[in-house]
Amino acid sequence: MTQAAALAAYGSNSPSNRNRIINGDMRIDQRNAGASVTVNDAAKFYPVDRFFGLGQSADGVFTLQQSSTAPAGFTKSIIATVTTADASVGATQQYYISQRLEGFNTADFAWGTASAVAVTLSFWTRSSLTGTFGGALQNDAQDRSYPFTYTISAADTWEQKTINIAAITTGTWETTTNSGIRLYFDIGMGSTYLGTAGAWASADYRGATGQTNIIATSGATFYITGVQLEVGSVATPFEHRMYGQELALCQRYYVKDAGETLPGPYVNASGAVVGSAYANWMLPVDMRAAPTCTFATTGMTSITTRKSNTRAIALLATATSTAYVDSWTASAEL
Amino acid sequence: MYKLLPNDFMGQPAQCIKRLSDNAFIPFDPANTDYQAYLAWLEEGNTPEPADEQGA
Repeated sequence: MTQAAALAAYGSNSPSNRNRIINGDMRIDQRNAGASVTVNDAAKFYPVDRFFGLGQSADGVFTLQQSSTAPAGFTKSIIATVTTADASVGATQQYYISQRLEGFNTADFAWGTASAVAVTLSFWTRSSLTGTFGGALQNDAQDRSYPFTYTISAADTWEQKTINIAAITTGTWETTTNSGIRLYFDIGMGSTYLGTAGAWASADYRGATGQTNIIATSGATFYITGVQLEVGSVATPFEHRMYGQELALCQRYYVKDAGETLPGPYVNASGAVVGSAYANWMLPVDMRAAPTCTFATTGMTSITTRKSNTRAIALLATATSTAYVDSWTASAEL
Repeated sequence: MYKLLPNDFMGQPAQCIKRLSDNAFIPFDPANTDYQAYLAWLEEGNTPEPADEQGA
């Protein structure tokens, strides 16, 4: 196949930036530096940047962790390990790994219009279990869903999977800073959220009928990496972006400074009128939204985030003293 | 649970709310998902704690 034919086959005008998944090779982990996170609540737990796990409280539990076990051509994956099994997943219970794609990055799919295009999802996976596994794509309104299944035929062996997804001309799909697409890889899903694989449905489906619930088996493991979502009907080789480029893409949603920039931002309110001393600093990239901020200081603790926007953070001293900001985080996740 | 933040010395109101579970500061940005959660919490009839006095 000529290069031109290959480009035409996957429907893109450019061979670069075709993967709409950020951190699909699981290299970037600003939050945990490789440490494990325990998914034991119906909240978002991030093992690496952009991918989160969600589970249940007081029921099944699994851990997520960046792993150096990876197929050829990759250095990292994430591993899910079931630590407390849920052998009978309730109808509305859910356990999954997900990434929410910003609408700006999927707007050219033109989903919900007559110009909608087909896309292809590909990824590498391995598990201690074999059988049929599932996931789904859906819109942010959660009223259009595409459940899918894939088969793992050999235990503890890396396999690459490809899912072709037809164009969808109905529904409302976000095209700016909100979630354009929600992508699910299921660890366990209740029957309420299961639909027929391989077809669009006007329903809230987050998995496919007949899929294996990994959460049902204590000690079961599930790895995933090399996740790519691209325009067209061909799964092209994974797009390996430069590390700095991928980090910057991640930082649009989350930034962590654990003291690398010491001495950090400094606020000097000694002798000042209370509530008049600020410390301001720029964010490394424009974030998706004004971020939620946390920070730790040496010295005065009576400081608050006064304001944050997509480009900067402003702290305000609410007492008369001084402080260094030792570490801080900014989150504008979806 | 959430807590309001004090005005600055010019009397200008803060443009964030404090989430007490992790001491995070959430900006009043409709695109921020934490702010969306705060608005939902208000919709349920909850009320944030009042702001501390300046210098406290």
